[in-house]
Amino acid sequence: MDEENDDVTTTHAAIGVNIAPPALEVAHEDAEVTTTQTAPAAAIEVRGLTAHYGTKLAVSDVSLDAGQRSITAIIGPSGSGKSTVLRAMNRMLEVIPGARLEGSVRFHGMDVYDPSIEPAAVRRTIGMVFQQPNPFPTMSIYDNVAAPARFNGMVRGRVETDQLVERSLRLAALWGEVKDVLGKSGASLSGGQQQRLCIARALAVNPEVILMDEPCSALDPIATLQIEELARQLSKEYTIVIVTHNMQQAARVSDETIFMSMSPERGGYVVETGPTTRIFTNPSNKLTEDYITGRFG
Amino acid sequence: MKAETTSLPPAGMQRLRRRRVAGIGDPILGWAVRILSVGALLAVVVMIVQTAVDASTLFRHVGPLQFLFGNRWEPSNTIYGALPFIYGTVVTSVLALIFAVPLSIGVALLIMEYLPRGVAGPVAVAVDLLAAVPSIVYGFWGILYLVPDPRPIEQAVAASPLGVIPIFAGPAPGPSYLVAALVLTIMILPIITAVSREAIAATPRLQREGIMALGATHWEQIRHVILPFARGGIFAGAVLGLSRAIGETIAVLFVIGNAPHLAASIFSPGYTLPSVIASEFREANQPFHIEALIALGVILFVLSFGVNLTARVIIGRFERRAGGADVR
Amino acid sequence: MSDSQLLRGTALRRRSFDRFISVLCLVAGVIALLPLAAVIAFLLIEGLKAWSPAFLVERPGSVVGPGGGAVHAIIGTFLMTGLALVIATPAALAVAVYVVEYRESRLAVVVRSAVDLLAGVPSIVVGIIVYALVVLTMKHFSGFAGSLALAIIMLPIIARTSEEMLKIVPRRLREGTMALGMARWRALGFVFIPTVASGILTGILLAVSRAIGETAPLLFTSLGSNFVQTDFSQPMSALPVYIFQNAINIGFPAAKERAWAGALTLVTIVLVLNLLGRWLASRAAVRGAN
Repeated sequence: MDEENDDVTTTHAAIGVNIAPPALEVAHEDAEVTTTQTAPAAAIEVRGLTAHYGTKLAVSDVSLDAGQRSITAIIGPSGSGKSTVLRAMNRMLEVIPGARLEGSVRFHGMDVYDPSIEPAAVRRTIGMVFQQPNPFPTMSIYDNVAAPARFNGMVRGRVETDQLVERSLRLAALWGEVKDVLGKSGASLSGGQQQRLCIARALAVNPEVILMDEPCSALDPIATLQIEELARQLSKEYTIVIVTHNMQQAARVSDETIFMSMSPERGGYVVETGPTTRIFTNPSNKLTEDYITGRFG
Repeated sequence: MKAETTSLPPAGMQRLRRRRVAGIGDPILGWAVRILSVGALLAVVVMIVQTAVDASTLFRHVGPLQFLFGNRWEPSNTIYGALPFIYGTVVTSVLALIFAVPLSIGVALLIMEYLPRGVAGPVAVAVDLLAAVPSIVYGFWGILYLVPDPRPIEQAVAASPLGVIPIFAGPAPGPSYLVAALVLTIMILPIITAVSREAIAATPRLQREGIMALGATHWEQIRHVILPFARGGIFAGAVLGLSRAIGETIAVLFVIGNAPHLAASIFSPGYTLPSVIASEFREANQPFHIEALIALGVILFVLSFGVNLTARVIIGRFERRAGGADVR
Repeated sequence: MSDSQLLRGTALRRRSFDRFISVLCLVAGVIALLPLAAVIAFLLIEGLKAWSPAFLVERPGSVVGPGGGAVHAIIGTFLMTGLALVIATPAALAVAVYVVEYRESRLAVVVRSAVDLLAGVPSIVVGIIVYALVVLTMKHFSGFAGSLALAIIMLPIIARTSEEMLKIVPRRLREGTMALGMARWRALGFVFIPTVASGILTGILLAVSRAIGETAPLLFTSLGSNFVQTDFSQPMSALPVYIFQNAINIGFPAAKERAWAGALTLVTIVLVLNLLGRWLASRAAVRGAN
């Protein structure tokens, strides 16, 4: 637990609009970017996001950063637009009928909504895990992981596919439990296992970011802890953004926290962002403090 | 709240009493409803039984197995065999299914997945209207255009190297199993499309979004999520189409050429159960001719009944399995 | 790296296959609608050539000679479909009420399955079974037998639509009538059925539009005739049968013309009824949603 705090205080994620300190892990080539530029090392930058569902205002003027190789949590009461913001990041917002947005979402500086970029490419790079586990029931466990990798051209041939399936299932801490039953239907697993299967599936297409939309809300407490542990493990390699209505989960798991709330005139909006420990022990905004102490939400 | 008084004021007693009297209406309703529905169905059953009885008088002349598998039909010699018609019915219906199912899936996908809302609606209505056109009109149109117009193509195919294969062998006089199958395809396409559309619409949103979030193209979404989920529905639609094709009479009558034989080539004329019954009925004055036709009708009934029953069983199993595969 | 991954986009092969499939589906749509367009086109071209208002009111002349109208067929269709409606609707409503309101009864389940199976019986078989019992017993063909055959064809359609409609009656309405202590028959007759009346009417319209187009069952029951007939115990003509009689005489140009005129008339009636039924259904759906 203490190691986590150390990681958090020497965070390599951006804080709100301030320029972030450069990444301290130099193991990857990505770090070159931060030493040659003064740009923040945020994987995803959202600026001025305003979204509507038809005539209903969902969120207004949302700006936030999700730092590389860390876990950013978005918390807030229901209706505050957390899922809307999440979906805007991997272009899954536009598939909802009537949804439209303004503002920008940048991935390593590139505008994700640029006309020259395909939504499918964005979704491959920025993966998503849903609130309800949704493995494909018409496919086996093996195929659930293999099929997306195959049609995305990530593997060729049986051997490569086998390796990728095993690697992804191991990464998702599921291999041991399913390695003998890979042929069974994806829907035959328990809730927690299904969710890990969905994570394995998302990992198989080699994303850089994994968005998690309340991934544990349909799971029992033990499965929840497993997923949280998995997220912490994955955050060493991947950027994770997790939406959760469970404050304790955010406090346990994330490096950065973004607190959103909602008002009738503004819809959903960002109240405060910052390192998780600070938000939970010393929030700057009264609203944040009220929410955290359970006075509302 | 047990504080109600145990003795009701006179008005209350009156109301209770009145309610009990008015109670006669309900039992009457119950009986009327039962008698009418069961009665109607019983009447139909009686008719079916009577038909079977009438048909069975044929068996004084020719044994049931002999009739069922007999491949000659010559009323002038009082020779009656059902096989040519069973064969023709099966060939034309199966061929129609082969043409119609892929076409229907394509149209259903077009309407549900590709066309913008405003266009999809009218197109769907147009496809449904295909089913509203009476079969006599298709038959009439068919014999005027669908029989002569493809003939050159059919003859070309028969003359080509493909003609060596028995199903494509010549001659191709025009009316044929193939043309009948084409007309049937047009007629069963609407029902298969309608059912497939419903099946496609029922695909869970969560699954669609799941595969979308993995970077799938539209076709990949259709192939890996939508079609697998819609499988059961499409099958149900196909069976409904098959059932319709088996029983189609007038349209087939005009275009199949009315030849009571078994032929391998799809370009050859043939005959089906319903079309022979309709076409020979009026002139059926040979001994046992009418009985033989009625017997053919019984075979047709059993065939279509069997198809429907099997379908309901299979669809029931599909539905149970699909329900069980849901996320626990 | 990940930047280039974002920019790389989907492989050309995948994208072009995706596009190819969408074109394939478009082609399927065109192929499917081509016959409809062709039939309607020919109907209009040939039918309007042969048609005139006189067609609707003149009696038939000689079968192979020129001229002659179809008034006997139109009257026959009108009469037989009317009687069929009178026979089928009460029975169909009874079935629908029985299946929905008394669904606990095992007999109700049997009834429902039976009606479903009846829907799948080919119309020619319906003609045959009515022939076997009614025509053979009465010793001649009759308009009544024809109406009976049409009624059997219409019954499952009306029953199924009415059943769906009754199922849609909102819970609140049902509970409301129960809370008022309303007798079931009153609730049904004065509340439920009127609420879904337009839906039931739609079913009736669709059933009628189907029955009007049927030829095969009538060939075995009402047979057809060349005279205007209002006596149900005698053979009667009907529009589809009239077209059939003329269509098999295709060699004679006059017969062919009459067949076109008849086909145009029939399709017009059927399409109007069908579209009317749809329009009513969409209105009922909108009202139901409220």
